[in-house]
Amino acid sequence: MAGIGAAGATTALAGCGSSQPVITSTSTAVGDSDILNFALNLEYLEAQFYLHAATGSGLLATDIGSSPGTVTGGAQVTGLTSAQQNILNEIAYDEQQHVRFLRSALGSAAVAMPNIDIVNSFNALASAAGIGSSFNPYASFNSFLVGAFIFEDVGVTAYSGAAPLISTAGIAAGYLTAAAGIMAVEAYHAAYVRTALTAGAIALGTTAFPYLTYANQVSTLRASLGGGNETTLTIPSGTTSATSIVTPSAIVASTSANAIAYARTTDQVLHIVYGTANGSGVAKGGFFPNGLNGKISVTAS
Amino acid sequence: MATQETQILDNIIASRRALLVGGGAALAALAMPGIAHAASSTTGFGDTDILNFALNLEYLEANFYYLAAFGTNISSANTLYPTGAMVQGITGTGTQGTVLVKASPKVPFVNLSVASYAVETAIEEGKHVAFLRSTLGSAAVAQPQIDLTGGSSYGTTAAFNALASAAGIGSAFDPFASDANFLIGAYIFEDVGVTAYNGAAPLFTTGTTGKTYLAAAAGILAVEAYHAGLVRTTINALDPTGTLGYMTLTQQVSALRAKLALAAAPSPASVYDATPDDYGVTPGTITVSLGGGASVSRSQIVDADPTNVTAFSRSTTQVLNIVTGGGATTANTKATGVFFPNGLNGLIS
Repeated sequence: MAGIGAAGATTALAGCGSSQPVITSTSTAVGDSDILNFALNLEYLEAQFYLHAATGSGLLATDIGSSPGTVTGGAQVTGLTSAQQNILNEIAYDEQQHVRFLRSALGSAAVAMPNIDIVNSFNALASAAGIGSSFNPYASFNSFLVGAFIFEDVGVTAYSGAAPLISTAGIAAGYLTAAAGIMAVEAYHAAYVRTALTAGAIALGTTAFPYLTYANQVSTLRASLGGGNETTLTIPSGTTSATSIVTPSAIVASTSANAIAYARTTDQVLHIVYGTANGSGVAKGGFFPNGLNGKISVTAS
Repeated sequence: MATQETQILDNIIASRRALLVGGGAALAALAMPGIAHAASSTTGFGDTDILNFALNLEYLEANFYYLAAFGTNISSANTLYPTGAMVQGITGTGTQGTVLVKASPKVPFVNLSVASYAVETAIEEGKHVAFLRSTLGSAAVAQPQIDLTGGSSYGTTAAFNALASAAGIGSAFDPFASDANFLIGAYIFEDVGVTAYNGAAPLFTTGTTGKTYLAAAAGILAVEAYHAGLVRTTINALDPTGTLGYMTLTQQVSALRAKLALAAAPSPASVYDATPDDYGVTPGTITVSLGGGASVSRSQIVDADPTNVTAFSRSTTQVLNIVTGGGATTANTKATGVFFPNGLNGLIS
């Protein structure tokens, strides 16, 4: 079932004798509900990660559909200050509500939660990024920030890329406003994570606070899997005096030319969450050991 | 004429918002009337008008951050500019104005992080001005008259003083006085930018050009949300328990924005939810249920509707009413006041 992704659409069009470029044909073959279901898969992942980090357990059975997949890994982050716990609770709540909102908007068309891995995926990702052979995002608040960093900017780029794909009817139905509204929330989250990582490195230096470096290693890996579209976190240099800042921070992830946030294609997002390099036919891996559910689940390129 | 059209657009947005508030199955079921309404009433408004509306707001934001970070407005050369900051053009259609601000507005930053954030944001908002002007070409509006005055040496009509008074913060507020005041000043703008771009996104035409604009607008929307998140995170970090009062200030500003937005809500007002469309930073006094667990407290970094957690969307009239401090509640009259004493340039004004 999940195989009717981008590759399936290409085959179908080839059968019709079309010689149009693949990208055009795939985007027209995908409907609004497919785009929302693609987003729902990502929200399942985020919600399970944050809920586990905040509480030690995940989404309610009533929020993951019939015959859902399972979650491998996940643990509560301990030793938090109350302010830190409040942050985890906020982000976990936000992502939980996104799952509920998308499931409600999709109704009976909503896909069930696929199998999700939030332990081996981090180890593989850490290894590929050069952080080390293992990485436990639940070990401390700062480790959690690096884990969160992996998701949040990807969420922004995914929604930004999907927004123009929504149909005219979908725009009138409010799907675009909903997607743009969720994208903004992901950007608020991303800003929190990037601000906290930058502030930590400013306060302690990158030796005592290696998490900014870890995040940038993740960013480099995402860039290689997801078509670039990254802004490296920067510690500002300069002083607060009249001569001022020489190099500012880089809290915002956006193009250097126009300061517009990056947009990723569904293929680029799939390559990141599957943790698998570019090429067609990639259908699973990384955070989704059996792939996403729904039409958009296999890479076309 | 412009005001009438603004009102029509507002009604469309209101109907869409009602669908979203209804959520779920209602969303799809109620979609059709929305389409018919939109198709027949957007003819007088083009993509250019929407982009020019955004450009007015970017002129405002960019000037605020340039003045805070470098001490000069966006059309002035400054040896303090790091890579990425530069003189911006301000000419175009409509009446070109100046920027009213105190002498030596550069904020006397003591916190390196906050100083850096000011510079980063100035650079990015400047680029938004440049991008929109470049995209609009000869259709770009000129920078309108902008008022960024505030503080005890100014009267009650100075922009920030008037807003501070309306928000119950006090009779005078100088956003360039300190790190904290700068953050509160920035707070006033950023979430408004998010709601404005979110409200504008569905208004673009659906052809190739409109889609290109939509993609750019979505990208700018995300950047505004990054900025808003940055400001809110920093306020939260500087005043984690709220004892310094910064959080209370954000709540007062948010309450004022919500009040101004509600006052300009399209009729019938009943389609708008009566709950606030703006939430300040709070020290974990909100409780929610996570998974199946007991209620826990959470922070409020994100400014979004508390049920679906999607960022708010505001109509152009609502945004106008906020940036003019209540000047947009009279139909068929150009909105003027606080930050825009002579109103915005362009059709949506």
